Amino acid sequence: MNQYARMIIVLVIISMASGAVLALSYAVTNPTIQEQARQKLEQSVLVVIPGATRMEEIQKEDMTIYVGLDDEGNKKGIAFKTVGSGFNGSIEIMVGYNPKEGKLLGIEILSMSETPGLGARIQEEAFKGQFKGKSVEDEFVAKQDVEAISGATISSTAVASAIKTSLDKVVEIFPVGGDY
Amino acid sequence: MQLIKDFINGVWNENPIFRMVIGICSALAVTTAASNGIAMGLALTFVLTCSSILVSILRNVIPSTVRIPCYIIVVATFTTVVDLFMKAYFPALYEVMGIFIPLIVVNCIVLARAEAFASKVGVARATADALGMGLGYTWAITLISIIREIMGSGTLFGYHIMGDGFVPWIIAILPPGAFIVMGILVGIMNMIARKTVKDTECH
Repeated sequence: MNQYARMIIVLVIISMASGAVLALSYAVTNPTIQEQARQKLEQSVLVVIPGATRMEEIQKEDMTIYVGLDDEGNKKGIAFKTVGSGFNGSIEIMVGYNPKEGKLLGIEILSMSETPGLGARIQEEAFKGQFKGKSVEDEFVAKQDVEAISGATISSTAVASAIKTSLDKVVEIFPVGGDY
Repeated sequence: MQLIKDFINGVWNENPIFRMVIGICSALAVTTAASNGIAMGLALTFVLTCSSILVSILRNVIPSTVRIPCYIIVVATFTTVVDLFMKAYFPALYEVMGIFIPLIVVNCIVLARAEAFASKVGVARATADALGMGLGYTWAITLISIIREIMGSGTLFGYHIMGDGFVPWIIAILPPGAFIVMGILVGIMNMIARKTVKDTECH
């Protein structure tokens, strides 16, 4: 057998075997991976909407809105995802909102890569908690109506302005006091 | 006897992190908590062992002209398998390690052992070497991450051990801390190694 043919045959066989192994492991793990992602999402929605026990996903004008419902099917509020650009990369935030009162229900940081000990403290309750009860009319400016973490103004500003930007969009879709 | 020698070689004499100083990219990046160090070490050991065994089995089949592409395919396959299973069953760990699991593909320890060792010896020796190198890597980065976690967060495996008055040295879990801790450890390893070398004239 000449060496070129051998080279090609060996490479093809190894690649095909590799493809088969990968396809198999993907088939085995994919349902679990999807389930994990869904659970994580649901958990974050339920955290930011107090009283909600399950959620429903709806699409409205290219925004994905999660509606939180309690056991009796009463709507407890909505949640939406927003992304801010932090100090070291993007910050993903889940925001809980009550359109009836025009007030935030709470926020949760989904992912971020801020500096440990400084920007990463946006994950602490002391920072996150202050957004609870904030109104759509508030300015969301760090150091004014949002208390910034000392030494991490950029991270704090990123969170506040990301929430404000998306909130304005949501308010257009669901006017304050209206049905949702 | 040869097998034990091959194994010890990786764990101590030619420890990839402290003696050869290869594959340190991941060793510096993920070592902010002890559990990350162990998980990264085990993931690398798995990929290294599987690929070394396979490369050793196929050493007479693979033509030398295409050996590097073949090794890379083998390594990439095992890495992706680890990546998928970790994502499915250890999502919390996966989130922390992020990009560094897929990057095992280009970790020079894996390719270096395939090229320099596994492709030249039998399966038994290749396995012993891969396990030794993997364990050497694991204990080295676990040690680095234990030191960084204690200094930088005051915790060990997530448990607070430094008491309430402890102010964490945040630099230890930032990139510079990784270099400082590793540099000191490499220095200590060199001191130990120098003492145990009998024939000083070689150096």
